[in-house]
Amino acid sequence: MALTITCPICGKRNGYEFRYGGEEKGPRPDEAGLTPEAWCDYVHMNNCVAGVQEEWWFHKDGCGSWFKIHRDTTTNLEIEQTEATE
Amino acid sequence: MFLKNKPMWGKRTKLKSSYDVVIIGGGLHSLATAYYLAKDYGITDIAILEKNYIGFGGAGRNTAIVRANQRTQYNVPLYKEALDLWPVLTKELDYNLMFNNCGNLNLMHSEAAMKAARMNICTAQFHGVESHLIDAKEAKELVPALNISEDITFPIHGAMFHPPGGIVRHDAVVWGLAKGAAKKGVEIHQQTEALDITTKNGKVESVKTNMGTIQTKQVMISAGGYSAALINSMLGIRLPISVLTIQAMVTQPLKPILDHVVSSGAYHCYANQTLKGEIATGAHMDPWPNYTTLNTAYYIKHQAEALSEFLPALRGLKFMRIWGGLADMTPDMAPIMDGNDQVEGFFMDCGWGYFGFKSCSAVGKYMAEFIAKNECPDILKPFNLKRYQDHKLMGETAALVNYSPDN
Amino acid sequence: MNRFNHLPTLKVDSASKIAFVYKGKKYYGAKGDTIATALFANGIRIFSRSLKYHRPRGLYSLDGECSNTCMEVDGIPNVRCENTLLKDGMVIKEQNVKGSAQNDMMGFIDKLDWMMPAGFYYNTMHKPAKIWPIAMKQIRKAAGLGTLSPDFDMPGRYDEIYPTADVVIIGGGPAGMTAAIEAGKKGLRVILMESRPWLGGCFEYRSREYQNRQTLNERAHQLANEVNALDNIRVFTHTSAVGVYNNNLVTGFQIGQEEDPFTERYLEIRATSIVVAAGCIERPLIFDHNERPGVMQAACALRLAKTYGILPGKKAVFSVGHDFGLEAAIELHDLGLPIACIADIREDGQDPFLMKRIQAKNIPFHKGWVANTTHGQKEVKAVTLSGIDGLITKKVNCDLLVASAGMTPVTGHITVNQGKLCYDSHTNFFLPKEMPEKMHAAGTLLGLTDPVSIETSGKLAGLKAAFDCENCSIKDIGDAKKELEALPGPARGSKLVTAPVQGRKSFICFDEDTTIKNIKQAIDKGFDVPELIKRFTSAGTGPGQGGIPGHNLPLYVAKYQALQDISIKPTTVRPPLVPTGISTYAGTNHKMFKITPMDDMQRKDGGIFRNIGVWQRARYFSSDLSCKKEIENVRSNVGMLDGSTLGKFRIHGPDALKALQRVYVSDMSKVKEGRIKYSAMCNDDGCVIDDGVVVKQGENDYYFTTSTGRAGQTVEWIRYHTRYDGWDFSLVNLTDSMGVINLSGPNARKVLEKVVDIDVSNEAFGFSEYKAFKIQDTIPVKAMRLGFVGELSYELHVPSSYMKAVWLMLKDAGQEFNIQNFGVEAQNVLRMEKCHIILGQESEQRTNLLDVGLGFLWDRSKTDTKTVGTVALRQAESDQSRFRLVGFEMENNGRAPRDGSLIVDTKVRGYVCTARDSFSMNKAVGMALVEAPLADIGTRLEIFEDECGDERIYGKVVKMPFYDPSGQRMKM
Repeated sequence: MALTITCPICGKRNGYEFRYGGEEKGPRPDEAGLTPEAWCDYVHMNNCVAGVQEEWWFHKDGCGSWFKIHRDTTTNLEIEQTEATE
Repeated sequence: MFLKNKPMWGKRTKLKSSYDVVIIGGGLHSLATAYYLAKDYGITDIAILEKNYIGFGGAGRNTAIVRANQRTQYNVPLYKEALDLWPVLTKELDYNLMFNNCGNLNLMHSEAAMKAARMNICTAQFHGVESHLIDAKEAKELVPALNISEDITFPIHGAMFHPPGGIVRHDAVVWGLAKGAAKKGVEIHQQTEALDITTKNGKVESVKTNMGTIQTKQVMISAGGYSAALINSMLGIRLPISVLTIQAMVTQPLKPILDHVVSSGAYHCYANQTLKGEIATGAHMDPWPNYTTLNTAYYIKHQAEALSEFLPALRGLKFMRIWGGLADMTPDMAPIMDGNDQVEGFFMDCGWGYFGFKSCSAVGKYMAEFIAKNECPDILKPFNLKRYQDHKLMGETAALVNYSPDN
Repeated sequence: MNRFNHLPTLKVDSASKIAFVYKGKKYYGAKGDTIATALFANGIRIFSRSLKYHRPRGLYSLDGECSNTCMEVDGIPNVRCENTLLKDGMVIKEQNVKGSAQNDMMGFIDKLDWMMPAGFYYNTMHKPAKIWPIAMKQIRKAAGLGTLSPDFDMPGRYDEIYPTADVVIIGGGPAGMTAAIEAGKKGLRVILMESRPWLGGCFEYRSREYQNRQTLNERAHQLANEVNALDNIRVFTHTSAVGVYNNNLVTGFQIGQEEDPFTERYLEIRATSIVVAAGCIERPLIFDHNERPGVMQAACALRLAKTYGILPGKKAVFSVGHDFGLEAAIELHDLGLPIACIADIREDGQDPFLMKRIQAKNIPFHKGWVANTTHGQKEVKAVTLSGIDGLITKKVNCDLLVASAGMTPVTGHITVNQGKLCYDSHTNFFLPKEMPEKMHAAGTLLGLTDPVSIETSGKLAGLKAAFDCENCSIKDIGDAKKELEALPGPARGSKLVTAPVQGRKSFICFDEDTTIKNIKQAIDKGFDVPELIKRFTSAGTGPGQGGIPGHNLPLYVAKYQALQDISIKPTTVRPPLVPTGISTYAGTNHKMFKITPMDDMQRKDGGIFRNIGVWQRARYFSSDLSCKKEIENVRSNVGMLDGSTLGKFRIHGPDALKALQRVYVSDMSKVKEGRIKYSAMCNDDGCVIDDGVVVKQGENDYYFTTSTGRAGQTVEWIRYHTRYDGWDFSLVNLTDSMGVINLSGPNARKVLEKVVDIDVSNEAFGFSEYKAFKIQDTIPVKAMRLGFVGELSYELHVPSSYMKAVWLMLKDAGQEFNIQNFGVEAQNVLRMEKCHIILGQESEQRTNLLDVGLGFLWDRSKTDTKTVGTVALRQAESDQSRFRLVGFEMENNGRAPRDGSLIVDTKVRGYVCTARDSFSMNKAVGMALVEAPLADIGTRLEIFEDECGDERIYGKVVKMPFYDPSGQRMKM
């Protein structure tokens, strides 16, 4: 296995230059009225999709930006955005 | 005595339309739970559903290390019982599980690590589990191949020595439990895939499979790395789990050179010698979710670099085979065992990360009790799912786990 | 033995002798020999004993598919002598024998095989339980092949390279070379990897006609010349590709030649496209005693003669299932090997041209016959042949049995990269069905045997690879496809797996001594798929991995279960595809740590260094690990600490303050210029992950510090938690570009005022204040008055390049006060006496901001900033079952407990974080995390130390801090 990830700034690079940042869960919820269940769901819970998921990556040994990609967790291959959104 | 070559876990039979208990996953936790349900509670109308073949997943891919030197008082008694059960099961199952209690040597590479080890050791000793803090020289006496010079990346300060731990033949546990469960009437259905669980009024009603639908009131998912995805897709229960690939490898076989399991957190590496003489070594996980069991070039190289430093004699060996398995990691490195809470009749036993093998015997026993009595045994209570919501992470790891920035 | 010395195919120079020692005696081989061919030339036939039954084993293949020729060479165990080049002075020893391989006292075990059916270990030796430990010791002693001394020091130099390429070609035979030439002609950067020391593959050692009277050998040389003429093809010979990973990453290793500066080197190549042309190995023929020395594969026999100049026997019988076997017989016959007869498994389908030649040479030929068993004590003396139905038999004397059932494609490079195989009944191969993206197969592994077809398939693959690199038209590929289709396709493969035998001594896996009988036993017990059989019988788990059982295992399993549709798959092939040295993978030295600008100066001052995170830091400055002198000097005089490892950052831009508000629990809008704000960051669970100070340098321009351990993750953290907001701020990590000197002690001011030009009096520069200034109009300094160690203290942040200068100035100025260094451990004790926490020491994953007593930092009015961690803090605030950080002192003037000791009653209630015999306080004090009910002042703590048995020591919860509770000393 040899993951590559396409950084929007630096292009396609070796996956070990990046750090995984979790499933896409949307912006931080407002504090007001946030129940423990909702808080826990946002902070800890995952979908654990066996298939294509949208997820965050950080280019730690590169430009230092956070960005989203689509990746198939059953092949560990990045999926091109256009293909995934279709 | 050797001529009887009957199938060890029964002939392949047709799936019935109903069972008392259905267990999804044909790994160790499932087999052990079924075995104890049958043995301790007389519940034998059980179907184990395995998509591939028994022991396909983590059960057959782990490196068979057992130990009871965990960090918290919730874990230690459970793992201690698991450790004590190996000789008992060998006898009960009449199957040689080949328990080699050679002891585990966990290397410490800094003053801070020695302090952390002392806490584990105190916890072990407080619970009557043998474990000692030893210095580098004593460690070298136990494992002469250790490099205790200052001239390595992480010089060895000392070690946590845990004599009752060791290695068990993992395949034997799978086959032995399957044999024991089948003998008591449990049906093991291989190449049978569970597709869905249907519920009615918050209660389990049936399990759909590729071989037909089964009516049942109780179902457990203990499918190792695949549990979280199954539980979410079948019941919509999201879990605090990240499924990562963990890798291990073996060298060519060798006459005895390592008499203990040696491990190092700083080097992300453990090594032990199997009864066949191979050095089995591993530990690394690529820190992103991944359902492949593929290995990486990055890791086999890293492993060689690590071994070259603290067990330099092994530089004379060759790696023969590397493989991967799945580890379902939780934010606090402790498992989730729960039941009847989210859906009545639904039980889960997952989030074991890389601890699933060492715990399987004791967990099988207590999950069986849970299912049979419909009441959670005290020893399993701290492992419920609600703890994350209550900000009560288990503390099995002192440091934050580093595979996702959101915890 | 006389060796051929003028064959055009020879790779040895028998005139150049190489001396080596085998079993203590001196022998000579020829330059170019492998260890095994040199031994064979010296008449050695038994190379080893098998793992389990100690059966004699000899030269069987020359490509390392089994461990038959594994020996200890120069102290290195398990060296595969059949493909290790002989070097001058090598010392070679046998392994796993009592006595010698020739006369092994353990040989009797072979007779006890009836006691050891498949999986017998699992059913024996556990009753009664006490015999198992004894049995286990014996098993361990008996298992394993070579020995390794615990202090073994692997000789040699190991290198690593990371080239990139447009096309990587695995296999330097005719197909691989043709592919390389095609891709190379398109101007692509090509890497060609060949595991043998030379190019040529299956053409190299054969004299059969290619075309127009050119032999295959000559054709191989012609292709190699074409390859070498193209500058953009980089050829790595003696290089095995051992791993292929998705996105086309190829790993391998090269064995150094005499002139190379490395013994072996690791290669990791990222390619756009890959061509796999790794050829075939032979599929072993299974019959009784099919691995007795004297039995060898066809290419082994032929290459012994043609590559190494050694006639493989005195009288041979051939039992083969393919035309290559017939070709080998003819060539060897022509070189002078008497052939008693050829038994061809096939009833028909032989190449008529080869048949004509066999007839012309009067070699007896039996169609539909097969070797049934070999005879002889340790080496082959005769063979019994039979019809494939087993009815008629015939015994023939010979000392060489060339046995080969068929061919097996080498598809490991494809399957490790997730290519899928599918059974093909024409070739009897498991052929690649779904190729991985941008990977193409060519050559004999597709079943091709016609030389021109082989090359043309290479051409097609090379063009497809060029297409992947956007360098070839679809039309070119179409033309090459048509060209290939017009040529002879894959040859029909023989289907036979085993001779008609019961299989008690018919070995399907040599390395693990697994017989056909064992496989039947496993299947009968319910282990009915190859993966399970592999685990239960160990077949294919030895040093040669799947090399020998390979595709025979699934073929046999299908046959035994009488499966019509062979949906059964071979067992998974795993990297490394060739056993690869740990030293080779490790490559060069990777020991790397960061050092501060003060590293060498502190070492000169006697600093004892430790690796702390990614840094090396001075932990002690004397062999007294209690650091008494260092501590007393700071308390009563003045000391200097190198704090350069602290994380240091600048954040600026319109939204800088918003970003700080998001991650810090305090209200950062209250940070005033010229003042220092101490605050903390939490994770979403409210647990403290970092603490540090923030200073305001201007509007939306801040400088802040983090703990050493968090420096690497801070940018990531802040950017992560603001990733949806689209805020505009710049965040710069200054950790490596700034150094920090901590000047502490009652005399600190006296030292500092001699060095700086500004007024540093308590009135002008008070506690918790910040000043930026220049020393001598040149060196910019950010100075903070902090009190981590509890004394008057200045933290000077200086550009790294000026660190040495400032350090020396302070040292110079401090000389009259006898200024001393202090290290990380002294600082640890000093701050502990002040109850200033260190995250990770007084906190852990479970403890939140409130638990460790830092709740005062949290500004609860901040509700619209979505500050990380505050939701959890609010929710957990009223929970009484959480840990609390407490200070304690020991009862009756007792010593301090060891760090990590537990606080207990009938259960574990907490643990000691840090405790020391305090010189400043003259008593033992410490901090512990305990359950809230034990946190009240005056509570007695029962402490459980390691190895304490029933003894307990006791402490009592006291107020924090222990030292200078009013904070006078740091404010003076």
